[in-house]
Amino acid sequence: MSSEIKLIKYTIKKPITLRYPSSLIPEKKYSQIPEGLRGLLQRDNEKCIGCKACHYSCSGKATTFQYRENKLIIETFILRCAFCGYCQEICPEEAIKLTKTFEITINNPNEKEAYVTTELDLVKCKNCGKYFATKKFIDKTYQRLIEKINPIIKELVMNDYKKIEEYCTDCRRILSIKLNTHPKKYVWLEG
Amino acid sequence: MSLLKKSRIYSPWLYHLHCGGCNGCDIEILAALSPRFDVERFGIQLVTSPRHADILLITGPMTKQILPMAKRVYEQVPEPKVVVAIGSCACGGGIFYDQENYAIIGIPNSVIPIDVYVPGCPPKPEAIINGIIQGILKLSKKS
Repeated sequence: MSSEIKLIKYTIKKPITLRYPSSLIPEKKYSQIPEGLRGLLQRDNEKCIGCKACHYSCSGKATTFQYRENKLIIETFILRCAFCGYCQEICPEEAIKLTKTFEITINNPNEKEAYVTTELDLVKCKNCGKYFATKKFIDKTYQRLIEKINPIIKELVMNDYKKIEEYCTDCRRILSIKLNTHPKKYVWLEG
Repeated sequence: MSLLKKSRIYSPWLYHLHCGGCNGCDIEILAALSPRFDVERFGIQLVTSPRHADILLITGPMTKQILPMAKRVYEQVPEPKVVVAIGSCACGGGIFYDQENYAIIGIPNSVIPIDVYVPGCPPKPEAIINGIIQGILKLSKKS
């Protein structure tokens, strides 16, 4: 008897098939979209400081960077991206977010739509004239330096950093004696 | 448009070629063929021989072992044909992408010309259906 009731139940019920591309009701179009779904990544151009942490944490080497004259270009190749979310996890400024768009089809891998790119302006070195880092990156490193430093040598470091702020990493080493910013003097203070 | 060309667009047949992936994308393809999503609404059917197929589905990075078989399967598919790459391994190398890897030749694009790319690790069945429909649209232009 129970099997007959089941039979009548299933004849009245609608089929479970989803009418995927042609469905008029958006809720019944997709099977289920879970909360933690990781889709296409989005990089905020204003929040990004150009620290390249996303490049070093990328599991598939999809994110690459290159210096082109006065601009730093960070681009992610979507076709190689595995949507693992490591870049979102490690980004110090929370500029990268994985959206929930998963219906991605690309016809040509060489087109612009296959890349997520950000362009950032670089600052010139005062001594050698080389483009080396973005202005936001220099400011952020200064802020983070102050937070973690020993209060005894705080003022000295602050003064020293402002002297060498506009030079690139190679010139900082060369000019350290000339500008009196060599780290050797801190050893005397502590001793 | 002749009757043969019209009927080809309304009933494209699939052949599934596995090129050494982790089986994640293959399970999702099977889910797309099952009654929940039901690709057979579009007249699509999974066939067991490449000689009957119109659309070729490729998953996984191209390994050295599968290369001669993959080339032969591609040549056996009759013209006009469309190749759809599914998963980030077949699209751009994925997490296996490494130029010094001795077992993997590279992206399948270097061996077989690919028409539609569906990235994801693995892509959802809806994304696969979307990719197959894009492939059918390309098939209608070719024939």
